[in-house]
Amino acid sequence: MIASVAVVGHQNNPLYLQSFTNANDALKLHHIVHCSLDVIDERVNNPKRSVSTLNESYLGLLYPTESYKVYGYLSNTKAKFLVVTTDLDVKDADIRSFFRRFHAAYVDAVSNPFHVPEKKIVSRTFAQRVSGIVKAFAAGTNG
Amino acid sequence: MSLVAVFAEFRRDWAEALRFYEEAYRALREETVVNKGLMIATSTRLPPVQRLVEIRAVAEQLFFKISTLLLHGGKVEEAIAWFNRHFNSYKHLVGLDEVSFLHWDWLSRQFLVFAELLETSSAAIPNTLSSHFGTPESSLTEWEIQPAYYYQLAANYLREKRYCLDNLLSTGDSEFSRTSGKVPESVMPSVFIGQSARLVEQGDMIEVLPLSDAEYVQYALSEAQRFQDSYEIIALFRKACESFTNLKAPRLASLCSNRMAKEYFFTEDFTDAKKLFDTVSSLYRQEGWVTLLWESLGYLQECSIRLDSAKDFIEYSLEMASLPIFANGDQEIPDSKREYGPAGLPSQSRREALQSEVLSLVRGEEIVSRTDRGCSIAVTKEQPVRIDVDIISPLRMVLLVSVAFHDQSVKPGSPVMFTLSLVSQLPCSIEVDELEIEFNQPKCNFIIINAVEEISAARSNGDNQDVRIETAPSIVLPTNKWLRLTYDVKSDQSGKLECLSVTARIGKSFKICCQAESPASMEDLPFWKFEGMVQTFPTKDPVLSFSGQKVIQVEEPDPEVDLILNASSPALVGESFVVPLTVIPRGHEVYSGELKINLVDARGGGLLMSPRETDPFSSGNHHVELISISRMGDDDESRIHSDKIKKIQQSFGVVSVPDLRVGDKWSCKLEIKWHKPKSVMLYASLGYSPNSAEAARVNVHRSLQIEGKIPISITHTFMMPFRREPLLLSKVKSLPGADQNVYLALNETSILIVTARNSSEVPLRVKSMMIQSNSNKNETPYSIQHVGGVSADDSLLVPGGEFKGVFSVRPKIDSPNLELGSVCLNWNRDLTLSDSEDSGVVTEQKLPAVIVEQSPLVVSLEFPPHAILGIPFLFYIKVSNQTNLLQEIKYSLGDTQSFVFCGPHDNAGFILPKMEYVMSYKLVPLCSGSQQLPQATITSLRYSAALNPSVTATTIFVYPSEPNFFVADNEKETILAKLNL
Repeated sequence: MIASVAVVGHQNNPLYLQSFTNANDALKLHHIVHCSLDVIDERVNNPKRSVSTLNESYLGLLYPTESYKVYGYLSNTKAKFLVVTTDLDVKDADIRSFFRRFHAAYVDAVSNPFHVPEKKIVSRTFAQRVSGIVKAFAAGTNG
Repeated sequence: MSLVAVFAEFRRDWAEALRFYEEAYRALREETVVNKGLMIATSTRLPPVQRLVEIRAVAEQLFFKISTLLLHGGKVEEAIAWFNRHFNSYKHLVGLDEVSFLHWDWLSRQFLVFAELLETSSAAIPNTLSSHFGTPESSLTEWEIQPAYYYQLAANYLREKRYCLDNLLSTGDSEFSRTSGKVPESVMPSVFIGQSARLVEQGDMIEVLPLSDAEYVQYALSEAQRFQDSYEIIALFRKACESFTNLKAPRLASLCSNRMAKEYFFTEDFTDAKKLFDTVSSLYRQEGWVTLLWESLGYLQECSIRLDSAKDFIEYSLEMASLPIFANGDQEIPDSKREYGPAGLPSQSRREALQSEVLSLVRGEEIVSRTDRGCSIAVTKEQPVRIDVDIISPLRMVLLVSVAFHDQSVKPGSPVMFTLSLVSQLPCSIEVDELEIEFNQPKCNFIIINAVEEISAARSNGDNQDVRIETAPSIVLPTNKWLRLTYDVKSDQSGKLECLSVTARIGKSFKICCQAESPASMEDLPFWKFEGMVQTFPTKDPVLSFSGQKVIQVEEPDPEVDLILNASSPALVGESFVVPLTVIPRGHEVYSGELKINLVDARGGGLLMSPRETDPFSSGNHHVELISISRMGDDDESRIHSDKIKKIQQSFGVVSVPDLRVGDKWSCKLEIKWHKPKSVMLYASLGYSPNSAEAARVNVHRSLQIEGKIPISITHTFMMPFRREPLLLSKVKSLPGADQNVYLALNETSILIVTARNSSEVPLRVKSMMIQSNSNKNETPYSIQHVGGVSADDSLLVPGGEFKGVFSVRPKIDSPNLELGSVCLNWNRDLTLSDSEDSGVVTEQKLPAVIVEQSPLVVSLEFPPHAILGIPFLFYIKVSNQTNLLQEIKYSLGDTQSFVFCGPHDNAGFILPKMEYVMSYKLVPLCSGSQQLPQATITSLRYSAALNPSVTATTIFVYPSEPNFFVADNEKETILAKLNL
């Protein structure tokens, strides 16, 4: 199950952060997302990485905690997408397709002429779409 | 199995040992699973609590062996996978609530041991591992191979243990504690791993007895209480934090710092906790993580109360209240205090509560700590609080002050509009009692008072009785809405007027002082810049919002003194050009006046010297030089005044002006000398005080462009004596036009004609012209005599007019580079100034060097000065051999229409050394007027050089008949003498 999704701007500021758990762990998830940015920095700036992985948006598993796993994705405009899951065994392909849809939703949201770049995404349509994608992901992995 | 493994390890058969340890671990696991189901129901050898402790101890022992063997074998990935499996197998095996702290303690130990093992075998971690992170080939991530990751988790579980233990001790009503309240004595580890036993002395015999679970729990509790877990937790977090900082993972490091700070807070070490929370907060502020900052600020707020710092408490509370949090978190979630700390869940209502809390504090109420009811803070009159907000302070969200003058410059004494705009992001409106506006000119400071407040009360409070006080109907700042106040500001002091700060007073003892910002250069608000709120402008006028400045230039008052500079004509190079300067007070009196004179190149560049010349202090290097500034008039007093002149540089001078009243007049003259023709701007500025008491100075500036011109251009020409041509071999050989050298024959007299032309626009008088030798010796290698030209007795030279001087030059030595000295022309202006002394100006121009050589042959032509039509005359061509050699020459005379002649057309001849060869022709003129004699060509065979006499030398005037004119004898002699030289 997806616990939280986040979009982080290029100044490492949160643009969108949504938890999908009922438990009172929003702060914990915020900490997890914030700490995962270190891994993104490390991975993006690591000169040892192979060319094929360098040019890819999907950054893979970033950070396992005891009960969560964090996956990352970096757009060409340096917007960072993060997903925190409670499933400890998720298929790579599922996560990739999730990120593609999440990215597409983000692109649509920021294409709104009334949206100012680098400001928080407050669009309700975006939030609904992301919840839809999260639900579809849960259905896909369970099924 | 484990015994076999130990034996294999003893034999150093690592693979075998590993296999058996793994086998043993699996067997234990199976037994654990079986046991788990029956744990409570069946009675095994040991009671359930101790049984679980034993299983964990054995598993730990086996896992320790396995991971040591794997890590020493370099199988890092496998070791980590094993660790994860080990953790997942046992993480849910918590046991009874009463002993859950044992589980967390055990888990923490697993992480700690594994971290230490990883640390000791870090050399075995291959470098290539890092390139695969995040790819499907690798299940590992960056931090999983770092001991810091495990240290941090060890600390987390230890924290969990402490929490469980504290809970247990605080409730203290567990089943075990009820059944037996006594801690058993002499408990020690049994011979078997993970088991404990009680020693009982019975006489001399010591008996080992098993413990009941209740006894064991009491024992474990008392043991756990003995340890100070907090110090261990802090040490582990510190270790992790330092490692993450070294690994350039600032966010993970700050998470560790955050946890460390919380632990310090728990141990009531508020100073250390505050220090760490402050560091952590700065990162969250920088990156705009509101929720994370909220949590840290909540702790900081509580630390401030406990440290009795009202100022810090207000700062943190105001920052929290102004954070962009809009969630409706009215319903308190249970356990939120543990999760979010003293601040609780971030929500709009909490923000509002915080604001009202702070406002009641500054208005005199007491605030009590949330964690310790005995601790409180208050703001009193004796200890007022003042908060400073600069442009990088996070408190800009609380109060942002933007100030703008409506103009860019203002006359002194005239009012200028000044708009003060304030905005606050606090969740509720805030009422300010007084605003104090501070400028760099203290006289302009003023205070705005909320009309509700009594002015008299405000006055009695303030120390500054003479400060201007304005009233505003109400100074209330609604959330995110600009409060704009416009007032007039008047400054009498010229220069920069800048609004420095605005201090808002709320209550009697609280002030918040904000650095004033210009709307044109205002930074975005932290945090709020990421919010998609409607952009508002500090001023109503959008132009002012984009370009308004907090600084205005107060101009100088208009001068009421005339400064007159005059220059009637262009300046001439070389002369001392006098510019009269007059100061006439019209409306102002002049006190402590100072006159500055500056000369600047009119075409820019500033300096009046050539850049190539290195020594700026030598007067010769200056193209234009200010020689002196002297007082006009003849009285003695003025002479004394002129002594006060302070001349600073060649292009800059300062002179003090005496005190002048209206109707007085003061003049001086500036003497400027041009060394090069240059256009110069003469700047004169008079600075004075219109009133002897005031320090404010008024400046009058005048400038005048003066052209510097060359007065006289001097040219010169060398000529051979009349009808005499020496053969100069190097001149003949040199290519025509290749060089401009002048060749002179040795020991022959040449004529030098110097022409001085007045190139200026003013008439000049030439006083003398002479050629000055450069060498100081008496014996010069040539002789120069002035033989004629226009009379030099003060001859007037009108603009464009020429003056010619004729000199005879006779070189005495053979030299390829003979310096002839320079032409010195002494002149002055025809219009002399009344008091200038008529000393004249000397213009000097160097003559170029000449080449002197011995001429082997000299040709001279002889014929009468004029001829008469039809009457024959004699024409001699004399060639003189100056050498000691026999010279062979050829000569020819061409035909012309104007003359018939008798004599050979072509002929040749020999000239003996030092002898002369004469060719004589008789010519009869056929035409009257100025006529050209037949062209004679003399060729020297020895030097292969031909010599043609010049056209002027072979021109004769032919009269139609005998002319009748009378020449007096004495004049005839003079003329002849001059011609013969």
